[in-house]
Amino acid sequence: MNDTATLEAPVAARAKPKVILCEGNEAAALGVALARPDMVAVYPITPQSSLVEHVAKLIADGRMDADIVDAEGEHSVLSVLQGGALAGARTYTATCGPGLAFMFEPYFRTSGMRLPIVMSIVTRDGITPQSVWGGHQDAMTVREVGWIQLYCETVQEVLDTTVMAFKIAEHHDVMLPVNICLDGNYLSYGASRVELPEQADVDAFLGDKDVNWHVALDPLRPMAVDPLTGGAGGKGPATFVRYRKGQCRGMQNALAVIEEVHADWARRIGRSFAPLVEEYRLDDAEFAIMTLGSMTGAAKDAVDEARAAGKAVGLIKLKTFSPFPVEALLKSLAKVRALGVVDRSVAFRWNCGPMFQETLGALYRLGRHVPATSFIGGLAGADLTVAHFHRVIADTEALLTGPAPTTPVWLNEND
Amino acid sequence: MGRAFNTIAFDASKCDGCGDCMIACAQAKTGTDDVARSRIQIVGRDQAFELALCRQCADPKCVTVCPAGALAKDGASGVIGWDESKCVDCLLCTIGCAYAGIALDEASGHVAKCDTCDGSPACVPACPHGALRYVTTAHIYNEVGDWEDLFAPGLAGCQGCNTELLMRHTLRRVGPDTVLATPPGCVPGMGSVGYNGATGTKVPVFHPLLTNTAAMLAGIKRQYKRVGREITALAIAGDGGASDVGFQSLSGAAERGEQMLFMVVDNEGYMNTGMQRSSCTPYGAWTSTTPVGESQRGKTQDAKNLPLIMVNHRCAYVATASTAFMEDLYAKLDRAIEASKSGFAYVHVYSPCTTGWRFPTQLNIEVARKAVETNFVMLWEYTPDTGLHFTHPVDDPLPVTEYLKAMGRFRHLDEAQIEHIQRKVVENARFVARLAEQGEAGVVA
Amino acid sequence: MEHTRYLIAGSSHAALEAITAIRMHDAEGTITVVTRDAHLPYSPTVLPYVVSGKSAPEQIFLRDDDFFARNRVAYRPNAALVGLDAAANVARLADGTALGFDKLLLATGATPVIPPIPGIDAVDYHVLRTLDDALRLREAAPRARRAVVLGAGLVGMHAAENLVKAGASVTIVEMSERLTSGYFDAIAAGMIERAFTDHGATIRTGSRVVRLERTEAGSRLTLADGSELDADLLLVATGVRPDLAYLAGSGVDHDKGILVDDAMRTSRADVWAAGDCAQARGFFGDDKIMNAILPDAAAQGRIAGMAMAEDPGLRDYAGGVPLNTYHFFGRHAISVGRAAVPEGGEERVRHDPQSGRYVRAVFDGDGRLTGMFGVNEFFDGGVMAQLIVRRMDLSAERERLFANPLAVGRELMSRTWR
Repeated sequence: MNDTATLEAPVAARAKPKVILCEGNEAAALGVALARPDMVAVYPITPQSSLVEHVAKLIADGRMDADIVDAEGEHSVLSVLQGGALAGARTYTATCGPGLAFMFEPYFRTSGMRLPIVMSIVTRDGITPQSVWGGHQDAMTVREVGWIQLYCETVQEVLDTTVMAFKIAEHHDVMLPVNICLDGNYLSYGASRVELPEQADVDAFLGDKDVNWHVALDPLRPMAVDPLTGGAGGKGPATFVRYRKGQCRGMQNALAVIEEVHADWARRIGRSFAPLVEEYRLDDAEFAIMTLGSMTGAAKDAVDEARAAGKAVGLIKLKTFSPFPVEALLKSLAKVRALGVVDRSVAFRWNCGPMFQETLGALYRLGRHVPATSFIGGLAGADLTVAHFHRVIADTEALLTGPAPTTPVWLNEND
Repeated sequence: MGRAFNTIAFDASKCDGCGDCMIACAQAKTGTDDVARSRIQIVGRDQAFELALCRQCADPKCVTVCPAGALAKDGASGVIGWDESKCVDCLLCTIGCAYAGIALDEASGHVAKCDTCDGSPACVPACPHGALRYVTTAHIYNEVGDWEDLFAPGLAGCQGCNTELLMRHTLRRVGPDTVLATPPGCVPGMGSVGYNGATGTKVPVFHPLLTNTAAMLAGIKRQYKRVGREITALAIAGDGGASDVGFQSLSGAAERGEQMLFMVVDNEGYMNTGMQRSSCTPYGAWTSTTPVGESQRGKTQDAKNLPLIMVNHRCAYVATASTAFMEDLYAKLDRAIEASKSGFAYVHVYSPCTTGWRFPTQLNIEVARKAVETNFVMLWEYTPDTGLHFTHPVDDPLPVTEYLKAMGRFRHLDEAQIEHIQRKVVENARFVARLAEQGEAGVVA
Repeated sequence: MEHTRYLIAGSSHAALEAITAIRMHDAEGTITVVTRDAHLPYSPTVLPYVVSGKSAPEQIFLRDDDFFARNRVAYRPNAALVGLDAAANVARLADGTALGFDKLLLATGATPVIPPIPGIDAVDYHVLRTLDDALRLREAAPRARRAVVLGAGLVGMHAAENLVKAGASVTIVEMSERLTSGYFDAIAAGMIERAFTDHGATIRTGSRVVRLERTEAGSRLTLADGSELDADLLLVATGVRPDLAYLAGSGVDHDKGILVDDAMRTSRADVWAAGDCAQARGFFGDDKIMNAILPDAAAQGRIAGMAMAEDPGLRDYAGGVPLNTYHFFGRHAISVGRAAVPEGGEERVRHDPQSGRYVRAVFDGDGRLTGMFGVNEFFDGGVMAQLIVRRMDLSAERERLFANPLAVGRELMSRTWR
């Protein structure tokens, strides 16, 4: 299924895994239950609602021992979890679109306080035009707020990444909140075969939690959390710089930690995923298309068909979008002479897709010009089909010989 | 920590010089009606009356200059006692005292001074105008004064601000096993959370957002409860953060019955950031966003009654309080702390702002008192079991102008505006009174 | 060598106030009090009442051992200061011990002046400055038939009254032209004199004793006019002055008393002085004066203690204001401020010989009170002292204040600083 991540042999012979059929929202809920958080806070929003319903049911059925806070809105959802985390709780929630926008104020603050909160974004397009369907616009809008963002391709990856996210977030070199981005509609409601890890294996994988060793609201070790910091002079600005640099360092540290955690997961559980960047049929490719999230399945099918037709096309998929894995991506980009980047959202200021925009930044370091085209598709729940990717492949191939367009190619416009 | 003592307080504005207090004192102390022998002396003329009475000084000069050891301050009552058996009638004490608090009683040939009649001064009940009060809050200060002040010294409040008083007393009372939330406003503004690494608080403290105080505290409290640790989740918030942008999280936490003590220090606006209007700002008040000009003269809407809204959440405990009535406040604080162990406890403290309301800094407590005496503010408490009842009913309120006139923020009011405010005070009093009656009638023991 | 943070020499009002002031600001620094006296602290002012029997000797102590224990003060009676090395910060005591200190307060009070009358060494006489003096005099007084009191200051007058009441024939001999000069003005002094003569005492003002001889009954005094007085009890009460012999070679500047600045600091950085031994700025002028009165001793002791403990609340000494009260034969006299009428000022006098009520108020040219004096007319001396020290312009209130100093003083007080 993928050709770069190393699938290691399991350490010990394992029992046949329990296999179920479930949709992505339920897989996320099952992943959360396996991670044994102390506290979840929920507020329903389409297409996330069935996720928190599953969580609530797991708790109600006694299959998950967590304090559930049915908060009156997403702003409070994240605020409750901040309080919980400062008191030492492992915490989880999920949201999307308008909910994410509403919680922006505490959202920004979570990374600043270095709280390892895990939150699924069941990605949603909008607002406005009003839309309840999938698209990456919500998650992309907050890509520069200091959260780690991991995009999943499959339902199985949703479950596995949900568990891994806690270990990444709580790693002492990281201490940053993590979003697991699963595509609204396509992953949230897409039912698929899923293998369930054993609880004992997950427990061993996650180890003991220690989430407020660095910042706490605890009468046994009183401290002032987040006093005013800054000002025109004195030690304020320097202190502020230290905090900000720490956040950036945590983000950079996360690149190695994400790889390490994925490798550990593969060792213990027996399933591996490319942690940062996945290459698909890239080694002998002349050009590549670049994808994110669930669209990758159809894209890979299109690549296979194009390869069969003699085109030297490969695929690069990002899993880790934040921090942006520049070094890992450059290794892949070094293999090709033209690039087509497919985004499920827009970067308004650049008139292109956000992944395209960020990849251009990485390309600058490549030291050679790689012509690239921005493709924008799958907005507001629209399906990105194999046919769409054939167009992407054709347009990208054209870059090898012709000029690159200065405007994006809008898929689904005339579907 | 020094001790506080009960004391006789005099309100010159209420005194008409009738002399009943002096007669009562003379009778109690000398068995005569000779007001010259009273230990309380009302002096003055026209309508301005003044007082000469022993202040029971903490650092009494009369004691210092007594050569015979005949005067001594009692460590328990604070009263400076006179021992006739030691006194040599030298009168040096009358030279030491700058307040005419000890003087010659010519009929007896000895000096005489107030001894507060062993804690029930005869003069106080004799005053027909309420100009004399026996202030008995000392026990609170003594009891609480022995507990650790959990704020550092030197918080940078405005001159005359009573919020610092409130903060220090509240946190002392609540104690060290507390997580304190002080959302943006005057409370952190004076340095409670701190600045560039220095903090003003000895318990864990944080700035929530202006919007999410109750939610963050809920998360904290729940986690400690989950791991079996008893802590008090305490918020000391401003009215803006509670009634405006923070109202949603407040309401949500109250509805869920989150276990916390949420105290609102209501100074009727965003005073820390330059005195802007909040929904708790009263009608007619000048603020920097409801200025007084040609076409608008102060705020044009009435204040939101936040504590009544909290009653309608059926919180475990809701109360209004005032720093001018500390015994009342303390009783409510005790009940609120208890209630916060099982549900949402809400205490709304009316807190005059010397800076934003524009009145002389020494008048803070007086302004707070006038607010209550005019029914502009009403002191009550509510529990679901007992309903709402007044803790300091004011049946014969002063005209609201008695309250308004002290403050620069109301100086521009025209008659129609004053009439509007008075009407709303009456309407509000009636509304709350009806709730109180319903409480009386509807509660089953 | 023993060392203490604060050394206080003396044990009366100035010393006691200094202890309190130090402990207000410095809870830890060691305090040692050394005193020549054998007893717990007491006030010299109370001694005439010990003589009269009004005060029981065991009841006059201003502090007990518990006070010193609570304040962690080492109290050392019978330990007079006899020498001071201010350069080395070492005090030498009568018992020969040396005591090192960081800061020293000299509050050693004063001792009676013994006039250089020929023959005085040959006769027995009493003085009244210590409790032991008082006990001796108390014992002798009932046996006295013919008593002579040298000096008509308050100590002498009090003792004379006691002796009169004990049944003795009493003569008061005073060098100056009137009684209680320096305390009360001429009219008040006249009223006092009349009270004494009405009770049988003889007053010999303007008289100087030129010789003293021992007799079988006691002593014989020869006055400058040649007259003679026989006494079986002689009390020398011609004033007090500080005994500063211990300052020899110390470098601490002194005149009549130890010269101090407005923080009671002497010419040596680590040495302060307060009370009857100190000579500090007077309120009514820049000259340094001896103002040996109890309220001033207490005020100076407080300032010195604050200065020694480096209490930032320290305020400069306002300057000494004469303040005296005097009870005689059931009457009282109160004297606040300066008796002299300042240039451009005025005095108002009200005297009713019938009732014996007398009031004199003195104002300066700017309408500010500078003195208030009364006999049998009670007013609040502390309020008057404040009116003086605050230098309040009383032009508008002058008449009312003079007419009714008690009520109007209280009104001004309540309005201004209540």
